[in-house]
Amino acid sequence: MDEIGQRIDQLLAIPPYGLPPEERQAALLGLLKDELEDASSRNAGYRNYIAHWPVPPRSASRISDLPYLPVGLLKAQPPLSLVEAQEIKRVLTSSSTTGQMPSRITLDSPTARRMTKGVVAIAQDFIGSSRRPYLIVDVPGSTRGGPELGARGAAIQGLHPFANEASYCLELDQNGDLTLDRDKLRRFAESQGSSSVLIYGFTYILWKYLVKPLMAENISLGMPDVHILHSGGWKLLQDEAVDKKSFNDGVARVFGCSADRVIDFYGMVENVGVIYPDCPEGNKHVPAFADVLVRNPLTLEPVSEGEQGIVQVCSVLPTSFPGNLLLTEDIAEIVSYDGCRCGRRGTCFRFVGRVAKSELRGCGNIDRKRQQAA
Amino acid sequence: MSEIIRVIDSTEEISALATELRETVSASEIATNAILDRFEAWGAALGERETADIPGVQFLRMWVRRGTLDPIIARELGRNALCGGWMEDGHARLKAYPLGIVGHWPAGNIEIQPALSMTCALLGGNASLVRVPSGLDELTRLIMGKLEQSDSAGVLTGRVRMLVFDHTRKDLQEAMARSVDGAMIWGGEEAVLNVRGLPFPHWARLAIFGPRISIAAMDADSWSDTEGQESWCRRIARDVWQFDQQACSSPQVLFLEKKAGHSSQEFVQSLKKAFESENQLHPRPTIHAGLTTVICQARASWLLDNAANSAVFTQGPDWTILLGSGSEIPKPTQGKTLAVLEVDDLLDPIGKLDGNVQTLGLAMADSTREIKLASLAARRGVDRIVKLGRMHVFVPPWDGVDLIRPMVRMVRHVPSTD
Repeated sequence: MDEIGQRIDQLLAIPPYGLPPEERQAALLGLLKDELEDASSRNAGYRNYIAHWPVPPRSASRISDLPYLPVGLLKAQPPLSLVEAQEIKRVLTSSSTTGQMPSRITLDSPTARRMTKGVVAIAQDFIGSSRRPYLIVDVPGSTRGGPELGARGAAIQGLHPFANEASYCLELDQNGDLTLDRDKLRRFAESQGSSSVLIYGFTYILWKYLVKPLMAENISLGMPDVHILHSGGWKLLQDEAVDKKSFNDGVARVFGCSADRVIDFYGMVENVGVIYPDCPEGNKHVPAFADVLVRNPLTLEPVSEGEQGIVQVCSVLPTSFPGNLLLTEDIAEIVSYDGCRCGRRGTCFRFVGRVAKSELRGCGNIDRKRQQAA
Repeated sequence: MSEIIRVIDSTEEISALATELRETVSASEIATNAILDRFEAWGAALGERETADIPGVQFLRMWVRRGTLDPIIARELGRNALCGGWMEDGHARLKAYPLGIVGHWPAGNIEIQPALSMTCALLGGNASLVRVPSGLDELTRLIMGKLEQSDSAGVLTGRVRMLVFDHTRKDLQEAMARSVDGAMIWGGEEAVLNVRGLPFPHWARLAIFGPRISIAAMDADSWSDTEGQESWCRRIARDVWQFDQQACSSPQVLFLEKKAGHSSQEFVQSLKKAFESENQLHPRPTIHAGLTTVICQARASWLLDNAANSAVFTQGPDWTILLGSGSEIPKPTQGKTLAVLEVDDLLDPIGKLDGNVQTLGLAMADSTREIKLASLAARRGVDRIVKLGRMHVFVPPWDGVDLIRPMVRMVRHVPSTD
């Protein structure tokens, strides 16, 4: 494991978007094979799964041939873990819809440390490495919760290394609903003025509780040197017919900055330490210690540029749970396998949406939607 | 442009169509022989290039053959029904008459079901209003186009109107329900419950074919017989492949009775070959991404949850064999994912069945035990017990219900001169 740890750290230390695709593939393939072998020696069920994979992992010549785990398997209780209980430092939980089990991700110290390093390496490529005031568009309790940390809390905490001070601008009203603490926000804007500032919020929360009300009152906070990062998905905003451009324009207007300072990132708790911010071209990129495959639902082979399919995330970072190769329930489009005009090397993609649930058919459902047929 | 299939936007359109159909049914009787002649021609036309490859069409062609339907009509409606005559019943005479208009709510995942459901009502002399599920309208248009081609006088097509509208249009669903005298309802639990709750007239008769699953079982001497193994595996593959394993008659699990000195692994290798060749012959043209993720998840959880389980599957989602032991039916995955479970005695899993299992596909070398097993299965709610390879053969009763008779009235005439 130490040897694997060293190799992971080496990949974490290099510029995240500088490797040509072939070099990245070579470095990742060997390391992922070793990690799979190590993981299967620690969990009998996982070993059984890998042993039945149609391509023996050792003879795989592509990352796409390695055995991937559907992300839903991480909803197991007790959590799928590769370390002893006493080594678990924290359990991350995903957001989940009502009635569904959340994913539960066990982190030991090395994986937790790499998670922080991974997020920092990626984020600093987009916002620079300096520490600055950090305003969180959420309530102060979001990162508490003892040994368990939810998706919102994990995202908030992941950006703390860029902060020299952190404050929150939402509070709970008498009914327990989120509400904007306008005084606090105003004081923050006045005190920081034109200095460099970092702001983070869940996409929908940022829009609903801060941007939308201030926009309605035509308020501009006058913070031109701000970076606003947000994540968490667009479904609720789509329901309100808010597209990305109007979102970015609205956020920029309220904060008094240019729209390119608003950065959406895709991330999932299960893909610890890896986030996918939008580059100025509107694409998401994959860092040197990770990969993203988009698989054709009909063949499960990687799609060509311009095609859509099911997202598989790959990362060398986790060693405390079998999360190196995860088939998600998201759909994305591969924009290109290299050559984004922003200058970042390697795969770039765009998130399209969630895989529509497939219901069990008897002699059928009255309305089977034939969408997403490959 | 076909007149049979129409996009509907108002309740008035449905009422007008229903009035037109009711007049047609009342105006004249239609002889069963006349229906069968046109069905024969339709079956031949369905073999043409445009329709031959639609999933289930070959099955529909078999169904509409006179050789298939003659005995079914004779059994359900009586021997004289074919020539339109009355049956003697003591001093009285009996004859089947149509209910009137039958409404059809077919399932959305069986391409031929709008047409198939309609045939059952037509055979009883009824007119039909068929709600075509979204996504099936184009294929149904092709299938019905062949009926129009084979029935230029409109004897049958004059009695059918197929309606395309969004399933969320409650007003249109209700208007359709109010217009019919009987209904054939196929689908998942939620869909069936929704349709059953529509405002049908109090006299309307409903035939409901709800969501069920099917299973297969082989006794020890059947699967361990190396000579017959290949043939049985081909039959199983055929049953799994049809309708992408999504029909209520599709086997989701195969129970193998253990046999001392024989390994089920060898059988699974033979099954693997059969699946490979069936997949070559009938590859999936498309897949819903949600089904792909469900298949991947089923494979992984099968192997992760129990290290004693094994599995054989392709790199793609093409097919999956999950091998383990136990007499409980695992949660069905569909999408050509067959769980193969070893049991000590086939009576164990069959004895645990509830009304959710529609069909039991069997391979039994011991016919005495087969009778015992069939009786037990019937007591446990199974409606069809058939040989493996014939699980989808559409012969009524289906779901324990006749297909033509529920949509006719048996009229009794006691002559006043008697």
